[in-house]
Amino acid sequence: MYRWFAYGLCVALLAVPGPFAFRTSTLPFVHRPSPTPQKYLPETMGGGVALLDYNLDGRLDIFLVNGGQMSAGPNRADLRRREPAYWNRLYRQEPNGAFTDVTAAAGLSSSPNFYGMGAATGDIDNDGDPDLYVTGYGGACLYRNRGNGTFELTTEAQAPGWSVSAALLDYDLDGHLDLFVARYLDWDLSRNILCGTPFNAYCRPDKFPGISNLLFHNDGHGHFRDVTADSGIGAAIGKGMGVAVNDYDQDGYPDIFVANDGMEQFLFHNERNGKFRECALEAGVALSDDARTYAGMGAAFADFDNDGRPDLAVTNLALEKYALYRNEGGHFAYVSLTSGLAALTARSSGWGVGLHDFDNNGWKDLFAAQSHVLDNVEKIQPGLRYREPPALYLNDGGRFRAANLPLAALAGRGAAFGDLDNDGTLDAVVAVLGGAPLVLRGQASQPGITLELNGKHANSDGAGAIVQAGGQTVYATTSGSYLSANDRRVHLAGSPAEVTITWPGGHRQVEKLPSTGLVRIMEKP
Amino acid sequence: MILLVLILAQTVSPELAQHVNAGLAAKAAGDLDLAIREFRKVVELAPELPAAHVNLGAVYFAKQDYGSAIAPLRQALALNPELPGAHQMLGTALLARGAAAGAIPHLEKAQATDLLGIAYLEAGRPREAVDKLEAALLARPADPDLLYYLSQAHSRLAQQLFENLRANPAGAARTQQMLGEAAAAAGQSEAAAQHFRAALAARPGLRGVQLAIGELQLANANYAAAEAAFRAEASLAPASAIAAYKLGFVLAQLGQSVAAVKELKRAYELAPEMPETSLELGKALAAAGESAAAENALLRVLQLEPKSKLAETAYGQLNQVYRKLNRPADADRALKSLQELRRPAAIPPR
Repeated sequence: MYRWFAYGLCVALLAVPGPFAFRTSTLPFVHRPSPTPQKYLPETMGGGVALLDYNLDGRLDIFLVNGGQMSAGPNRADLRRREPAYWNRLYRQEPNGAFTDVTAAAGLSSSPNFYGMGAATGDIDNDGDPDLYVTGYGGACLYRNRGNGTFELTTEAQAPGWSVSAALLDYDLDGHLDLFVARYLDWDLSRNILCGTPFNAYCRPDKFPGISNLLFHNDGHGHFRDVTADSGIGAAIGKGMGVAVNDYDQDGYPDIFVANDGMEQFLFHNERNGKFRECALEAGVALSDDARTYAGMGAAFADFDNDGRPDLAVTNLALEKYALYRNEGGHFAYVSLTSGLAALTARSSGWGVGLHDFDNNGWKDLFAAQSHVLDNVEKIQPGLRYREPPALYLNDGGRFRAANLPLAALAGRGAAFGDLDNDGTLDAVVAVLGGAPLVLRGQASQPGITLELNGKHANSDGAGAIVQAGGQTVYATTSGSYLSANDRRVHLAGSPAEVTITWPGGHRQVEKLPSTGLVRIMEKP
Repeated sequence: MILLVLILAQTVSPELAQHVNAGLAAKAAGDLDLAIREFRKVVELAPELPAAHVNLGAVYFAKQDYGSAIAPLRQALALNPELPGAHQMLGTALLARGAAAGAIPHLEKAQATDLLGIAYLEAGRPREAVDKLEAALLARPADPDLLYYLSQAHSRLAQQLFENLRANPAGAARTQQMLGEAAAAAGQSEAAAQHFRAALAARPGLRGVQLAIGELQLANANYAAAEAAFRAEASLAPASAIAAYKLGFVLAQLGQSVAAVKELKRAYELAPEMPETSLELGKALAAAGESAAAENALLRVLQLEPKSKLAETAYGQLNQVYRKLNRPADADRALKSLQELRRPAAIPPR
């Protein structure tokens, strides 16, 4: 039944100077945004990608979120997605590294009728396999992994309106992954307006009201309860895009950062009593260094300067400079300029973003999927470009430089990161608006190691665990980037002899590491 | 009233006096057509009387029939060139009919500064127009019409000067500079860059051109190219605070905090009243780790502009500087001030 696609022939090793390169390939998937003359905003916002080992064969598989058709019917929006061209797609990785489309066999062809945006993954029922949450305009849905290679569509965690990025995290440390859903705007087809003179263009977000994000609590018995209001999350009205999770104040509880478009960014501090407090302004991450808002798109929450504290990177539009905030112990300093990132990114527009160590030099690099939001920006601002190649900025001791990868320009949106081939080097998959995804397999000259954490008292993914080795600190999470979900495993550069894991709840565990490659670590009592 | 006295002071026939009185009464009652008929009779009965023509012209003027007013007013002035009020009415009527050149001598005689400025402008004499309109503006500084005509006059004067420049064979560099500035103002950055390059080719040491090139590059976030241009301008004009400021600003964008501090300090010494310089200096000092000096520079911004967007940035920076200096109470105060300044733009909870 499975259709096999071998893409070895289209794989090309990019010869670049220096120690790092990507091998590129693609998948037989075309994202369908169905653009219209009405310039409906969702058309330019998708799609997402998730990396998950859905069948537990030890290899990461790729889930791609499709757009769909979108037209204003006589009574309501028509968002039907029965045609296979509009399906989301699951690609299973085979032992030889090729990918097979298993969408129908996995039960994922029966997508509800909403316009797809992004995905989140995590083991919501602690049965050892990853489940899947899909966001979109007009709805969202949760698929439970049955553990036999198929998914079951549930009615849990319904998200009305326009959901974008989502994250699974155990915010109350009860051992069950909860769900945070970012929503973009209080918008629908009937309220669309045309913007731009003389060229029609997608409207700026300030033309529409914002909306609250959503938080669902996992009761551990298969049900998610909407705690948006009770938790305080609902009090903050935003224009959410990317979501990233980490424990910025190192109090043992995960905090949530939301990249907002065209307004202050949000940092939800976990108050450790089931409630969150929005504190971005006082923490120093709400604005740029000029106290200006910007078009926050994707977010990455990781320690770029190896001081053990998670920092924040936020992609935005051309001429705004990607924002990088260094965590200085509970508050942040804007360091886009001093890190060199401002000069590198000032002309770029970024979406999916990750802070991961691609070249295995012990410092996390910044990868961004790029493209302007306006497909006709070249007419409006001739100095800018709509399509841009994905960018990798290599981190040398806290200062970034361009990797100068000869990648083609494309309309990058979501991006997910993980070790596709279990070789200890990170790879990336970029979702392309209206196009085929780009699969980038890292080729580092230095070794690295990938750790699979398996929680026992903690959630089975070990989400929220902090892994430290050789001066590196990595937070275990699938969240971050834009519309996307990353490999749940943790990546470390080099060949550290041992690693310290601080599991959710504070239990510390030290493990000897055998070698490079893939290592599985169980939580010990 | 003066005209009436003039007529009645002379020995006139009862018929003439009757028409004069009837015309004045009709005018006072607002029946201008009747007044015109009566004053026409007066002109027929006493064509040698300047006041007769003035009265007829004045009624046409009141009726805003400037075309008809011109002839009787001219006739009146032909009979008596010093007739009070007639010059202003005739000048105004001519100006209203588009005959600005003809209006000018009458408005000069009447010393009608504002109308004279407009007449000069319409007659293609913008320099004199600027002088007269500036003088008129002293008395009525908020007059929207005066402001409009003065801006028009300045614009035409600039255009005229540019045409003179263009016609000058030795003015190629400045011509290209001006064309570049116009293109830049119109958002045509590529064309602007070409003109600026041509200006430099004609005169390599021309001041202001590198600054303009730097601005173009900065607007497109081409920081390295902007740095080169600003550095060249700073070299040409070492006493230019704006060149030093721009160079410092772009060095900061390039992450060169120490070099940025050096240039921004120089800019500050050249023009200490420029709040932008103090702000960028404060930011660069903070980035370079000189928190105490950064505090001073940022407080200087707040002295100069306590409520502006620059103040918002200064408070945001002070919040971070104070936290680095382990002064949480000061940091909280700076944050509160930032929040207060931003409050009007805050999105209300729903």
